[in-house]
Amino acid sequence: MNSAWFVYMAFAAGLLAVGVYCLLTMKNVIKLFIGIEVISKGISLGLLATGFVKKNTLLAQSLVITFIVVEVCLVATALALIINIYRHTKSLDVRKLTKLKG
Amino acid sequence: MIFLFIGLPLVVAALLPLLGKLSKRFLPDLLANAVFLVLFVLAVTSGRQMISQGPVLKQLDWLGEALSIQVAVDGFSLFMLMAIALLTLAVGLFSINYMEHYGAKANYYALLLMMMAGMNGLVLVTDLFGVYLFLEVAAIASYALVAYGLEHDELEASFKYLLLSVIASAAILLAITVIFGMTGSLGFAAVAEGLRALEAKAVVGFCSALFIMGFGLKAALVPFHAWLPDAHPSAPAPISAILSGLLIKVSGVYAMTRIFFNVFGLTPALSQILMYLGAVSIVVAALLALGQKDMKRMLAYSSISQVGYVVLGIGIGTPLGIAGGLFHLLNHALAKGLLFLNSGSVQQATGTRNLDEMGGLAKRMPLTAGTNLVGALSIAGVPPLGGFWSKLLIIMALVQAKEGALAVVAVLASVLTLWYYLLIQRKAFFGKLDEKWKAVKEAPFWMSAATVLLALLVIGLGLFFSAVIKTWIQPASDVLDQGIHLALGSWGF
Amino acid sequence: MIWHILLLSGLVIFSILAILSKDLIKSAISLAVASLLLGILFFQMQAPYAGVFEISVVAGLITVLFMLTIALTKTEGDVRESRSARIIFPLFFVAFILIDFFVMKGLLQKVPALPDAAELGAFGDVLWKQRTFDLVGQLAVILAGVFAVLALFRKRDKDE
Repeated sequence: MNSAWFVYMAFAAGLLAVGVYCLLTMKNVIKLFIGIEVISKGISLGLLATGFVKKNTLLAQSLVITFIVVEVCLVATALALIINIYRHTKSLDVRKLTKLKG
Repeated sequence: MIFLFIGLPLVVAALLPLLGKLSKRFLPDLLANAVFLVLFVLAVTSGRQMISQGPVLKQLDWLGEALSIQVAVDGFSLFMLMAIALLTLAVGLFSINYMEHYGAKANYYALLLMMMAGMNGLVLVTDLFGVYLFLEVAAIASYALVAYGLEHDELEASFKYLLLSVIASAAILLAITVIFGMTGSLGFAAVAEGLRALEAKAVVGFCSALFIMGFGLKAALVPFHAWLPDAHPSAPAPISAILSGLLIKVSGVYAMTRIFFNVFGLTPALSQILMYLGAVSIVVAALLALGQKDMKRMLAYSSISQVGYVVLGIGIGTPLGIAGGLFHLLNHALAKGLLFLNSGSVQQATGTRNLDEMGGLAKRMPLTAGTNLVGALSIAGVPPLGGFWSKLLIIMALVQAKEGALAVVAVLASVLTLWYYLLIQRKAFFGKLDEKWKAVKEAPFWMSAATVLLALLVIGLGLFFSAVIKTWIQPASDVLDQGIHLALGSWGF
Repeated sequence: MIWHILLLSGLVIFSILAILSKDLIKSAISLAVASLLLGILFFQMQAPYAGVFEISVVAGLITVLFMLTIALTKTEGDVRESRSARIIFPLFFVAFILIDFFVMKGLLQKVPALPDAAELGAFGDVLWKQRTFDLVGQLAVILAGVFAVLALFRKRDKDE
């Protein structure tokens, strides 16, 4: 069963890469939020697939459920920030958010 | 009893919005600060008694039935709990006056309590997933607190902080997943046992790299520091104090140290990587701090630099180095907290953070200037204040470990640190009193009280450093010294 | 096994569609479909609770919140995405997937993982009795999220 583990992890890592790519290159703040979502899918997939391969699905399920709950709270906070940003700059362009230099 | 550290902030935070409606005046402030005070006293008194025999594993019982909530307390956790409670108390007192014009204080205190609950939880859990979970609790509270003023700068800083934090969480969870796949469990003891039996160096190296990336982002180590110079200045001053003083250390340095020392075991390669990461942070951040005009931005870069010292000290791996690193963690938490709180006082009095516009404030705000000097000298490493002793320990440990080059770097960076702190002091407080500041007054009562309290503690840490090291640092350092034997031995369940 | 590979590929394809698509509504729908596929995959892996949660929360609740945000932030012009990002993406993705497969295969195949322990109890036992601390954490994170949203949406006084 171990031989299948790397397939699932490869797909999960692929999703993570797609999500990080989105965070690094997209300019619409809502697209950035989609990037966060794709990253979360990658992580949920990774967690559950690992549990599946180890025949430990019950533990993996509780981890995934907890992670999804954390996810929802993060999304709610991020969307609240996005709506506030929109109220200030009247646009969704992240290039408008470059006042600070980092 | 120990569960109060997580349970009390949680319950009070949940009740605060309701109680805030009853009495907007002082009830939220009173309750929140009471919680901080109670937890600090708890950490100092019964906490120390609990671990006098060694690390302790506590299980929560509900109506006679044992719930599966276990927390482990040892020297290191207790040290962090004490530091968290202490600085949060000072910040809570400061906020009584400072947060008046931000509005919705009950909500603010609720978020502050949640952040404290998250940090306490992180320190007390015994499994990897719990570390991630409470890290997120504190992080979500911090996103809202950084953006609390709802101005453009604050929203921008908070959003960028959120994005980078998501990447950090992803890296941490990926590492946890791989470890789960290898050992089939998540508890510290079980994982330590499993990894020892497996001998899978490459995969552990891969997971370590992911952990360094994830926790390094949270601790703002160079090159993962990009979010901090925006987030910490934009946040309200008391929140900057907590972020710089505690959050980057608890969710970054503490988590990384706990996992690397007690679960993986510190290998020579890992030690080298941590030391060089620390050294790079020290130098790069100190250089970047020099060119700053914004007072809080300079303090933010300084935080990155000083956390570098902590990681450098801990990375050496010898008892002396670890003790130096941990003592510096405490010194920096209190002193940097003090400096950020003072910047808040200055900002409230003058309306600006730009150093070029200030001048001669010492004549009108003597308390602020005095406490600021104490904090600055401590971080810069001037005897007899605390920072001098902790940096000395780290440098001695470097010399002992035959890392002469790094020791020289640490000393030179310390001189640089002294220089830019004296620059702040001179530009803001000393010098001629600028015309427009003739009417400023000293900071209100609670703000001054909080900063004076911290200043006294900073002086105390310096004068009584050997007592502090013996009672607080030594037990923590011993725990880390035992390495994985701690997880396998006393925590094995 | 072949079903799993199909579902996984579908998941990745729809996620990529969600990211590269120009229209925000289409992105939202692609994301929801991807969540649906992930939920079905969870069911196939004998993880019904996770599947239900994934579909109802991620494909349901988050999509609704997403649509709400899109509605509240209607702008005149679209945000111009950089052209090069969409062109470079296929190259990046293919390169990454190749490296990814080989790295994962090399790392994880040789790992002599510990023998799997037989799993006891029902799901309810595991969630409530084994991972009780996680429930405390969930409560904490929900509270933190609620307070965060309340703080970010609070009424500002006129003179602030």
